[in-house]
Amino acid sequence: MPFDRLDTAAVARSLSQIAEQPEDVVDAFFERREEVEVAPEGDPGSLRVWREEGFAVRLVRDGRTWLASRDAVEPKAFAESLRQVARAFSAATYPEPALEVAPPEPVTAPELLDFPGALSRAVRAHHVGFPLRVAVRRHRRWIQVVGPRLIGEAERETFYSLTAESSWGRYGALLPRLDGGAAEEVAAAVVALFRTRQAQPPAPVRGAAVLGPAAVAVLLHEAVAHALEADTLAQGGNPEAAVGVAMAAACLDVLDDPAAAPAGVRRSTDDEGASVVRRWLLRGGVVEQPLADALWARTSPVLLPGAGRRGTRHLPPGPRSSHLEVLAGETAPDDLLAGAEEGLYFTEASRGRLDPLSGEFVLHLPHGRRFRRGGLHEAVGPCALRGRVSDLLTRVTAVGNASRPAGAGWCAKGGQKLPVWATAPALRLEGVEVTP
Amino acid sequence: MSPSAEIPLDEILRALLKRHLTDAEVYVKRGRSRRLERTPVTETSATSQERAWAVRAGNRRGSFFAAATGDPAPAGPWPEPAPGHALELPEPETVPPWNEPSDFDTPLIGEREGLKVLESLGRDLTSELPGARLLRAVLEDGSSEAELANSRGVRSRTRQRISTLYLEAAGPGAGPGAGPGKPAPQASLYVAAREPRRFHPTALARRLADRLAVAAAGAPPERDTGEILLAPGVAVRLLAGVLPLLVGPGPGSRLLGARGRFGSEKVTLIDNGRFPGGAGEAPVDGEGVPTREVVLVEEGIFHQPLLAWWQEGAVHGQPSGCTRRPGWRDLPTPGPTHLYLKPEPRTPVASLLGSVSQGYYLIDVTGPGRFDLAADRFALPVCGFAVAAGRASAPVSGAWLCGGIGTFLRGVAGVGRDLTFHPLDGMIGSPTVLVLGLELRAAAE
Repeated sequence: MPFDRLDTAAVARSLSQIAEQPEDVVDAFFERREEVEVAPEGDPGSLRVWREEGFAVRLVRDGRTWLASRDAVEPKAFAESLRQVARAFSAATYPEPALEVAPPEPVTAPELLDFPGALSRAVRAHHVGFPLRVAVRRHRRWIQVVGPRLIGEAERETFYSLTAESSWGRYGALLPRLDGGAAEEVAAAVVALFRTRQAQPPAPVRGAAVLGPAAVAVLLHEAVAHALEADTLAQGGNPEAAVGVAMAAACLDVLDDPAAAPAGVRRSTDDEGASVVRRWLLRGGVVEQPLADALWARTSPVLLPGAGRRGTRHLPPGPRSSHLEVLAGETAPDDLLAGAEEGLYFTEASRGRLDPLSGEFVLHLPHGRRFRRGGLHEAVGPCALRGRVSDLLTRVTAVGNASRPAGAGWCAKGGQKLPVWATAPALRLEGVEVTP
Repeated sequence: MSPSAEIPLDEILRALLKRHLTDAEVYVKRGRSRRLERTPVTETSATSQERAWAVRAGNRRGSFFAAATGDPAPAGPWPEPAPGHALELPEPETVPPWNEPSDFDTPLIGEREGLKVLESLGRDLTSELPGARLLRAVLEDGSSEAELANSRGVRSRTRQRISTLYLEAAGPGAGPGAGPGKPAPQASLYVAAREPRRFHPTALARRLADRLAVAAAGAPPERDTGEILLAPGVAVRLLAGVLPLLVGPGPGSRLLGARGRFGSEKVTLIDNGRFPGGAGEAPVDGEGVPTREVVLVEEGIFHQPLLAWWQEGAVHGQPSGCTRRPGWRDLPTPGPTHLYLKPEPRTPVASLLGSVSQGYYLIDVTGPGRFDLAADRFALPVCGFAVAAGRASAPVSGAWLCGGIGTFLRGVAGVGRDLTFHPLDGMIGSPTVLVLGLELRAAAE
């Protein structure tokens, strides 16, 4: 761990000098990142390596935040940052704590070099072959949060991102591992894109839709997790007013649990050093615990911290979801389709968007299939599921009985791009609008 | 102090050469920025200092790209190049004289001054449209210096100064009790300038207020056509959608009509990395190649696409320094710096509006557009006013501007003098434009 030799006690003592009021939130966030990418064949600079480390010092007082960040972990820069965020004695000199960090390790990533070949073999196993431009990247991150009184546990994350481009579309995924299973998962998705390349989008329709776990993950990330972030709720009023509101069908239980995320991205503390919690966002369709960080938790006793995340040290943290978990229901996979006379079945969603003020929601679906009387039929091309969150989530009529890792994606909000993970079953919704 | 005062770029190039990496480039960057953000309940002031580098190196067998914070050291550690991909670097060229703008030296905006700007924006918005409020306002101000050296002998040193302002507002009706499921009119703006003192809070507040008022009161026509006046904010989004046809040797000629006509005679498209006063004004691009003005389309006739040095000869046209490098993490990529539709200095917007007998004046874009260049069609969500006899007759919102991309370019019947740049894919600029042949619809399809 790069921060093992960091004198966290000295950092804590330095921070205590700028925490003048009992309610002040003061912390130092140290991070190191490493990304290694094997670019698509034919691109110059085919092996790409990004390394960065630095820190941010933050003071939060009465809803106001001061933050100073640097691209180096150095005592002098740290003291200068303390001076920049301190509200009193701005001319004072602050102590320079010893900030020793381990040197970066040499870059080796054999799994990246091997993966394009493994993917190509997995695609051929589906009895198809087509040109594919594959870029695969390993993301590693180490963080250490230090407060004047609390020193968080050092955390590390490792995961992979992948993009595969073909003439008929682009597929992107985040993967906790690069193994045979990952190659098969990606192959299945790009082969599905290939096989549905000439499928026509469905005509506008209001009816039943069954979403596979991967599509459910995107739907609920946008429609539940984003909607229940304390800062999003604050755009419309008081975040704590959301607690107790029936937002979805009673069959829907949704949690955020960073400690249950896939190995490699599992967390015990958040990016503010607070312990993560198994947070019931919706219990029986009713809002129980919105996502909050330290700043928002100060505004109401109803809001619990532990969901503070930061995409970069240069920006303050915000309340965000890490690992969304949708509890399995009781409906067998075949019954999800058989429960409606006809409808559309979607395994994947390419992206989703929630307008926090209007509540309007769009889920983009790259392809799907029609189902009738419990059987899957012809393919349909790209389309979108649209609706207002408050209405859409009440239209969930059945929850699949098998919850499984449902992929992940990048989530960008407020200039911060973060990986988000999910475990979900399939869902059936009825009376929803699907448009080309 | 320039980055290389401390960093031996030539020594790093020599060290890479000793590793048989015959082609190499070292790029170092120093930057500082201030970011101020206000929401109805929070206020944030952040300062950051950036210090980082990037190296591209390779030989006939392979190459790598490495970038990191801190300072590069000749000893590395350097990754092993991945086999199979050669690296190409530009040769030195004479850089035409260029005077560094004086505002590069202006200090970053102070915390109090910046927050005051955001506060006054909120006040101005409320006075323009009672009941409206700013939901989020973010002012970022930054400056940087970069230095580059490559093994072919290119040496460059550049400075940048840029400020951006993002505003998100809700109209009357938003507030406690509103939220998911309870719609309120809303609007957002994103603008850029070389320094924040160029932002005019009152004008920006008025623009937001107009958007909110139109969104609250307007409705879309079911399907209509006519003379359509596009404000700069709408026209630039259409130009940005056309960019894939203008950058690189690929499909530039796809939209050519008879006798090489790309647009109407009112359409002159220019890219200029040295655009005076532009947010990205610089003497050289991200690879140290001199920037210059390139006329891509002149009076409707397609001259050439925007070409980087390594694309010379792929199609007709002269290359220019158009390789962008927004940050140390980014690989150099060709793209426009300041691409704009040439304005007509003698045509005020009022005269264009006065010439509309029956049509629309679209003042802004309300969301992401859809562009299908292969099928030659687009759809852009817009708001504005219906116009009759040169006067606004009714607000329009929730509408989609639809049509063919070629129809748009060939349908430009008038161009105003109010050239305005917007930060999209590079800085894209346009004056107000009068277009014929497009449709306004209630739905995109």
